[in-house]
Amino acid sequence: MPPIPPELAVRRIEAAAAGVAVALAGRTAPALSGRVLDLVVGRVARCHPRAFAALAELPPATLRIEPADRPAAFLLDVGPAVRLRVAGPDDPPPDAAVRGPLADLMDLLEGRIDGDALFFRRTLRIEGDTALVLAVRNAFDGEDMDVVADLAGAFGPLARAVPPARRAAGRALVALEEVRAALLRPLADRVAAVERRLAAFDREGR
Amino acid sequence: MAPFELICPAGTPAALRAAVDAGADAVYAGFRDETNARNFPGLNFSREEMAEGIRYARARGRMLFVAINTYPAAGRVEPWRRAVDDAARLGADAVILADLGLLDYAARTHPGLRLHLSVQASASNAEAVRFYREAFGVRRVVLPRVLTVADIRGLVAGTDVETEVFVFGGMCPMAEGRCTLSSYATGRSPNRQGVCSPAEHVRYEERGEDLVSRLGGFTINRFAAGEPAGYPTLCKGRFAAAGKASYLFEEPTSLNALPLLPALHEAGVKALKIEGRQRGKAYVAAVVSAYRRAIDGFARTGRVDDPGLDAGLDGAVEGGRDTAGAYRRSWR
Amino acid sequence: MTTPPLLTLGPVLFNWPAERWCDFYARIADEAPVDVVHLGEIVCSKRLPFLADQFGPAVERLEAAGKTVVLSTPILVTTERERAALAELVEAAPGPVEANDLAAVALLAGRPHLVGPYVNVYNEATLAWMAARGALSVSLNPELPAPSVGVLAAAAADLGVDVEVQVFGRMPLAISARCYHARSHGLHKDGCQFVCGNDPDGLAVATLDAQPFLAVNGTQTLSHACLDLSGALEALTAQGVRRLRLSPHAVDMVRVARGFRDVLDGRRDAAALSADLADLVAGMPLADGFYHDRAGYERVA
Repeated sequence: MPPIPPELAVRRIEAAAAGVAVALAGRTAPALSGRVLDLVVGRVARCHPRAFAALAELPPATLRIEPADRPAAFLLDVGPAVRLRVAGPDDPPPDAAVRGPLADLMDLLEGRIDGDALFFRRTLRIEGDTALVLAVRNAFDGEDMDVVADLAGAFGPLARAVPPARRAAGRALVALEEVRAALLRPLADRVAAVERRLAAFDREGR
Repeated sequence: MAPFELICPAGTPAALRAAVDAGADAVYAGFRDETNARNFPGLNFSREEMAEGIRYARARGRMLFVAINTYPAAGRVEPWRRAVDDAARLGADAVILADLGLLDYAARTHPGLRLHLSVQASASNAEAVRFYREAFGVRRVVLPRVLTVADIRGLVAGTDVETEVFVFGGMCPMAEGRCTLSSYATGRSPNRQGVCSPAEHVRYEERGEDLVSRLGGFTINRFAAGEPAGYPTLCKGRFAAAGKASYLFEEPTSLNALPLLPALHEAGVKALKIEGRQRGKAYVAAVVSAYRRAIDGFARTGRVDDPGLDAGLDGAVEGGRDTAGAYRRSWR
Repeated sequence: MTTPPLLTLGPVLFNWPAERWCDFYARIADEAPVDVVHLGEIVCSKRLPFLADQFGPAVERLEAAGKTVVLSTPILVTTERERAALAELVEAAPGPVEANDLAAVALLAGRPHLVGPYVNVYNEATLAWMAARGALSVSLNPELPAPSVGVLAAAAADLGVDVEVQVFGRMPLAISARCYHARSHGLHKDGCQFVCGNDPDGLAVATLDAQPFLAVNGTQTLSHACLDLSGALEALTAQGVRRLRLSPHAVDMVRVARGFRDVLDGRRDAAALSADLADLVAGMPLADGFYHDRAGYERVA
């Protein structure tokens, strides 16, 4: 098996961790996840005023962001009131939806890969208002965005764990399989395992 | 001296920084309105961002060109004139224009401003190029993507205007600035609104395993499961004619003229241009650095044979394929 | 009372056999109530040799019938041969010439000429610039909506220049160096076997869902729909549009011309003409979307 490039490995870990977060978001009480997501949006507004302004300038619309094979999806409201929420069963149909592997969605958000190229390979699926999807993509792509660092700023434990993980790409490779394994356990175990692993990683990385 | 100037696209400030950092000699960008031919949602530059972009490029010894290359609307030419005024005031190294009236305005109002002729003006022969030179003092012409290398050689020999040619990115099989396919299907066109096959008229539909892309009520393509898909740019669609379905106008390919750098240099081309202000900064960084390496390698060795180059470009090409396009006569 | 606009006949865009081409212009000369007739092979220089000997007699016959004959230059000029042919056409033309690319505009500078619909004139500044260079008439791109037409026609009146708008025929949408007719038959432009000659109104292009969409005419792409601005003739006249262009098709163009003439002269109503045109061009839907600032294929009026 060819070696996995360290950068890719880190991304996989981050995606796995984010996947847990997505799973959690879907299962926690709506009020709780709502507060967390408001935090994330607040964070984006502070760190990336241009992206935030671009989203706020759009006509009001809702984009569903759906990581493939994950139990939860998000709704991003754009327009004067930018908001990120967890999609619920009773939400009205969104104006557009983008669906793809979580790692690719995160890469896309950060402008690490080209959205067009992803789409050419049919990794991403787009439904509904294509202009909305492009507008959101363009808004985020116009920033030097680091989603994981941003989220880390918003979430407690990840705040400590993730930045060193990004710096220590080689070691992250080792952690990859554990994260994968963790994802196969029941949810509570999973989160605990990832938290433990990331905390340990944090200590080692310093 | 470098064999070519490398001219790179930026749809956002982040893409501009990526282009400069990856080795662009000049970046071209537009204001966030209908005055430029990539007027897409969420893209382009406010006046402040343009000023900032010019500072960023200048500080690193690079240039910034402002594209104002749609056709001003009848009865409403002011926004275009203001764009020219602002580009001049902000210190742009050149403005890229297509409309005769606007060229005339720029030449009269800002005699010191360097004028480039946009590809949207579709100047496709020496007579037309000389004309723009004589009438407005145009210093450089961006050539339409329908010319062969032989046509370009003849054109360069017949004028004293610098030439800039597209070497990578989206391919227009039609003469640019002379195409209203988009407005026929959607009511919005490159010349008037600065958009082609605009996203608000695009819909994707799943039909069984197939993915169908539609534009303004017309089916542009249908992809089988696993087949690489594309954005439904009208001229890259699959249509039925003479009893069979095919990519009648153009395959969904990207132009990549990397192997032709020696021939383009020999033809006297001054600058190489990368298409894609609507593409992300990852695309910009990958393509610009590959071309930077290719040009620098060509300057040293006179050849383009770095096997790593194609790998760097692979992810960026449309439909996973590339073509030398009209530069080879067989394209016709 | 203002004088009614001129009816003009654009050049035949399609590769018609020489005999059909000659018969067509003979009948136009004898029977069609048009004021101006444009001649020229403007799409593909490869077709020119078949018609070269026919131009002289056609010009004579049309002029003898009282028509003003205008020679139209090619849309896309790239090769040495095409450049030389253009220079020769401009040099040798006895009468007015219509420029369809910037090379022709350059070559015609200072001499009275017409500016064709393939040269982009989108605003009054460009129009004024053309007028100052000797343009007598400027034909507008069919994609321009009514408000733009109005502004340009008003500006043109002040400049003493005519504005022309196409009112009938498939709309020209694009030009390329690549031949789509040849490509659709698996051929190359250099060995095209003149397959474009099989389709006197262009080759139908449909979507994968079998919806008619476009028409290919060699290197040119046209609309599938046939432009019909008969319903806008009153508005166009009121806006000050001085020339109304009919683009030839393999239908009874004399009847088309008479229909437009009758509506302009108030002898017939526009709806009746539209109904007649729908019958004449059966197989092509009628469209007027561009003028109404909609998608070009749409039918509004």
